[in-house]
Amino acid sequence: MTISKLLVANRGEIAARVLRTAKARGLATAVLSHVAEQEGPAHLIADEIVMIEGPTPVAAYLDIPQIVEAAKKIGADAVHPGYGFLSENAAFVAALEEAGVTFIGPTSETIDLMGDKVRARVFVEEHGFPVAPSAIEDDDPASFVERARTVGYPLLIKPSAGGGGKGMRIVREDSTLETEIETARREGVRYFGDGRLFVECYIERPRHIEVQVMGDGQGNVVHFWERECSIQRRFQKIIEETPSPALTPEQRDEICETAAGIARAVKYRGAGTVEFIYAQDGAFYFLEMNTRLQVEHPVTELVTGFDLVAEQLRVAAGEGLSAAQADIPQTGHSIELRICAEDATADFRPAIGDILLLDEPMGEGIRVDSGILDGGKVTTDFDPMLSKLIVHGPDRAQAIARARNAVQNYVILGVTTNTGYLDEILAHPDFASGDVSTGFLAEQSETLTAPGEDVSDLLMAAAALSDERLVSDVMQIPEMYRKMGGWRN
Amino acid sequence: MQRIFQIDGEETECWLGHDGSRFVLNTPNGTVACQLDPTGLPGGYTLRAKGVVRELRLAVGPEATFVHMNGRTYEVGRVDPAERLAGSDGGTGDDRLVAPMPGVVVSVAVKPGDTVKEGQPLLVIESMKLETTLTAPRDGVVAEMPFAEGDSFGLKDILAQLAPEEE
Repeated sequence: MTISKLLVANRGEIAARVLRTAKARGLATAVLSHVAEQEGPAHLIADEIVMIEGPTPVAAYLDIPQIVEAAKKIGADAVHPGYGFLSENAAFVAALEEAGVTFIGPTSETIDLMGDKVRARVFVEEHGFPVAPSAIEDDDPASFVERARTVGYPLLIKPSAGGGGKGMRIVREDSTLETEIETARREGVRYFGDGRLFVECYIERPRHIEVQVMGDGQGNVVHFWERECSIQRRFQKIIEETPSPALTPEQRDEICETAAGIARAVKYRGAGTVEFIYAQDGAFYFLEMNTRLQVEHPVTELVTGFDLVAEQLRVAAGEGLSAAQADIPQTGHSIELRICAEDATADFRPAIGDILLLDEPMGEGIRVDSGILDGGKVTTDFDPMLSKLIVHGPDRAQAIARARNAVQNYVILGVTTNTGYLDEILAHPDFASGDVSTGFLAEQSETLTAPGEDVSDLLMAAAALSDERLVSDVMQIPEMYRKMGGWRN
Repeated sequence: MQRIFQIDGEETECWLGHDGSRFVLNTPNGTVACQLDPTGLPGGYTLRAKGVVRELRLAVGPEATFVHMNGRTYEVGRVDPAERLAGSDGGTGDDRLVAPMPGVVVSVAVKPGDTVKEGQPLLVIESMKLETTLTAPRDGVVAEMPFAEGDSFGLKDILAQLAPEEE
């Protein structure tokens, strides 16, 4: 089928990014907006803006009937969901199918399967791919303790109904296994009203490595290499890079081929990401599959030279994959920094404010996917991520140097952001050597948020001299008094 | 003329004067001769102070001045001591609920004029995906509830104000 008009059912930087590619391919374009929303780059790119309503802006972006209706009303023949919101919602895909609108993404069956973490894990294991050793109580409650023992130590007990780390217990010795199981069961009942448990092998200092895949829906799948995403705060990534500094060429081929194999097994359609836990000893295990374009996809684009949104649009239009595996290079090194409105020194508390001055870095090897405009307002209505700074360099050291220079010159005044914190991470010797795990930011929090050089006198001088009222008041004082520094009224 | 500047939560009292040829800032650390000249860039200035020259980008907000210097961004809160004095009859800290972080009002339980008991829920807010119920700090009468259900608020915004206690 051909696609002639695309509705982007998203906002912010990803809407702008998708719209740019769609326009370059000659499509008519439209984007959603809510009345509470500031004008952003996407609004300047789209041919058409469709207003949506809801009690909160987020509720509007999750309103399936309203968005399907919007697509029909403007005559869009395809919808790109971006990431977040409805991008992994099988009901949304089904509703679009029913309305005769193409969803840019996988089938609702694939989304359903991969969205259920237990089913996805069973599927992957049945196809012979590695999952972390585990034991699920429900499989046979009578033998649960015995099966847990065979997983080995250290192991992690998790409530089946759990989430967010609640009720999880690490067990390092067999002697405490049974009492810890009972404690975890009580916590599961207390937090989730459900005492069923499962245990899995606990990976010490794991890394998060994921692989970009693209499938045509007929069983043909290529991968676009890996991304390392171990730099996380509150379980959310803030720096991603490719290639991963942890992998040898042989491990890289193995993990990338494993991801492609998993995608082939589901006859995957469109862009997807297979996430793995990578242990210090080089073992890796399937974690989950994200059935959408990821926030961090640009690092892949910069090392491969492929436009992943263009690939998504090709596949959705039935044109198939544009390249064979051998034609997908991994050249140089790319790093992405997520620029967020938050205070890294106050437990990453979201910040709000008016953007008084915005000057984004430019230059060779620098890409900024931005969701903000000068003069805009940052509110708590949406995610605190404002934009993404992506750099490319011939090797990792040069990419880090380029990223540091670019983030230091990223000027956002009027709202607290994490640019200085991101630079501190890039400057850390363990980051430079690549010796990190998903616990890195928590382990190094004191170093990373330590106060820098005391420049308060310079800052106060700048603040005083740029205070027009203060300066004009000073100049109105008769000269003989003006000179007297300590003069008080 | 006097200003109180706030950097990283620490307040410093300063005095700006002019000695006929240049500005001087008196801080508790000493006297700083200083000069600020615009460059061609938006918000761009050259600062000369304490024997150093710094290129910076600067934006003056209503309550704070934002400075980008040496690759870092700083926020300098500005307090006019005269205004602080004038505004100090607005009630004691005990009379108001100040937002501990930015968020959204989930629901409002009382309206101005209502009599409330200490500990009585006044409103429910959501910040960082957590709901929190805010309660009356003491017995009293509600004077103001500045935010309605669904409104967004910022850090340190006043979420509820009680009428001053009658002596």
